[in-house]
Amino acid sequence: MADKRIPGIQKCIAVLWPSFLTAVVASGLFFSAFDPDDLVAFGADLEISRLGIYTIGFLLFWLVAAVSGFGTLYFAITNCLRNTPDYPES
Amino acid sequence: MGARNTTGSAKTGSPDEQVEQLLYARQEKIYPREVHGLFARLRVLGVFGLLGIYYLVPWLVWDGRQAVLLDLPARKFHIFFVTFWPQDFIYLAALLITAGLMLFFVTALVGRIWCGYACPQTVWTEAFLWIERKVEGNRMHQQKLDAMPMNARKLRIKATKHFLWLAFAAWTGFTFVGYFTPIVDLGQRLLAFELGPWETFWVIFYGFATYGNAGWMREQVCKYMCPYARFQGAMFDRDTLIISYLPERGEPRGSRKRSADPAELGLGDCIDCTLCVQVCPTGIDIRNGLQYECIACSACIDACDDVMEKMGYRKGLIKYTTENAMEGKQTHMIRARVVIYAIIMLAIISALAYSVVTRTPLGLDVIRDRNQLYRETVEGLIENVYILKILNMDNREHTYRLGVQGMPGVELHMDIKTIRVPAGEVMEFPVRLRVDESDLEARSSTVIFTLEATDASALQVQQEGRFLGPG
Ligand code: SF4
Ligand code: SF4
Repeated sequence: MADKRIPGIQKCIAVLWPSFLTAVVASGLFFSAFDPDDLVAFGADLEISRLGIYTIGFLLFWLVAAVSGFGTLYFAITNCLRNTPDYPES
Repeated sequence: MGARNTTGSAKTGSPDEQVEQLLYARQEKIYPREVHGLFARLRVLGVFGLLGIYYLVPWLVWDGRQAVLLDLPARKFHIFFVTFWPQDFIYLAALLITAGLMLFFVTALVGRIWCGYACPQTVWTEAFLWIERKVEGNRMHQQKLDAMPMNARKLRIKATKHFLWLAFAAWTGFTFVGYFTPIVDLGQRLLAFELGPWETFWVIFYGFATYGNAGWMREQVCKYMCPYARFQGAMFDRDTLIISYLPERGEPRGSRKRSADPAELGLGDCIDCTLCVQVCPTGIDIRNGLQYECIACSACIDACDDVMEKMGYRKGLIKYTTENAMEGKQTHMIRARVVIYAIIMLAIISALAYSVVTRTPLGLDVIRDRNQLYRETVEGLIENVYILKILNMDNREHTYRLGVQGMPGVELHMDIKTIRVPAGEVMEFPVRLRVDESDLEARSSTVIFTLEATDASALQVQQEGRFLGPG
């Protein structure tokens, strides 16, 4: 990402950590409403245990939330830069 | 809030650059000095208590099964004598809301007590710090060790530390998974190297998170990642318990001989030994005022009390106090926000307890056969077919009596004689309802299925269904 002042590790944490929390909540809600065994699309065909479906579901939620988070971070930083006239190009 | 100073130690450059350094500077490693005293003992007690609970609870047995088992694969949560089902999600939600309110309540009253004594981040960090001290020695030894170039001795010490950390973290991860799959079985399969891929994933994931957070990140989790640390300020007021240095008493600070009379030297009680800074796990100087980095661990209180005692001064130069008390005003324990939090909390807890105790451990779902709306039998009756899903949430097997109400002249037909559902199972039973067309008043009417355990009349539920006919 454009801004070199913020260490990459902090950007990663800023995105991965909130999206992790979001994914925990989302998968909790989702899987209390839907039994993976009823989601024929994956479970029945692929023969993955419930624990496996939970894990995949959680990771997918995390991925989706993280993608959105990186988008937000990217736009926030680039917009911020555009509005900072004397900021040196990186 | 009173004096608030966010920059801990002296920073150079313009204010803007200072802020930048504060936010983005590479973090220097903090070596918290070991501390002894009343609050340190309380914290050790907290650490032992909470870690003890965490590591032991999955091994408890109740009624021949694991007492606390959030059995995700089977979609049932066993907590001692109750079993919760996905249908009971509302309880979980209520529990979480209560926990949140409790945090509000406690924070308004006593500040960040949670951070200093009970937060998993603090508790595991304490345990990791303890291992580090056992292996690397005290603060000075640790700093020396880190400063020296890599050699065989350093490598050995570092390797030992990380090995112990990783072992402890792995056990933590294993215990974590043991809350979700039966732990005895899990242990046996672990020893036989037969863990499933998903279980292995979670053991490693949680273990690695513990190692990273408690071994490496430490106070940075509190500073940069903890949502609570960010909004706890909103729950504070002038009567909230905080940890504070008393500048009127301490300033002007300065070193002096033990025998010297501070009044003569024109000094306050602070001898500027910086012990309070050295013990601080977040590396701040409490003498700069209340800072959001302060996790209220009270290590600085212990350190300073010790110094005061050695100097022959009164203890409590750094102490638990409130903003009102510091300004010489009265502290009000009972105040509107505390009372409101308490009332809401009590209301939710009692509602929760009441509904858990009185809940019927029996569930009935009525699903209409989707293939046809209705059928005419050879006798000329109108027939509807249903699947009844019966959920026995009790801890023992029951047989049930099924009945229908709400439609005159209706007949109930089933292929089996008795409805028997084992403990904790869901079973499906097809049933047929037949009625004479003349008894039907409309195209669609409501029937009520009633289900009652034959051995416990308190176990009964009703569920509505639709009966469709030519009308
Ligand atoms: S300032 Fe004191 S109470 Fe706050 S984190 Fe540091 S040592 Fe703990
Ligand atoms: S420990 Fe007490 S005496 Fe020492 S520097 Fe801190 S406040 Fe001053």
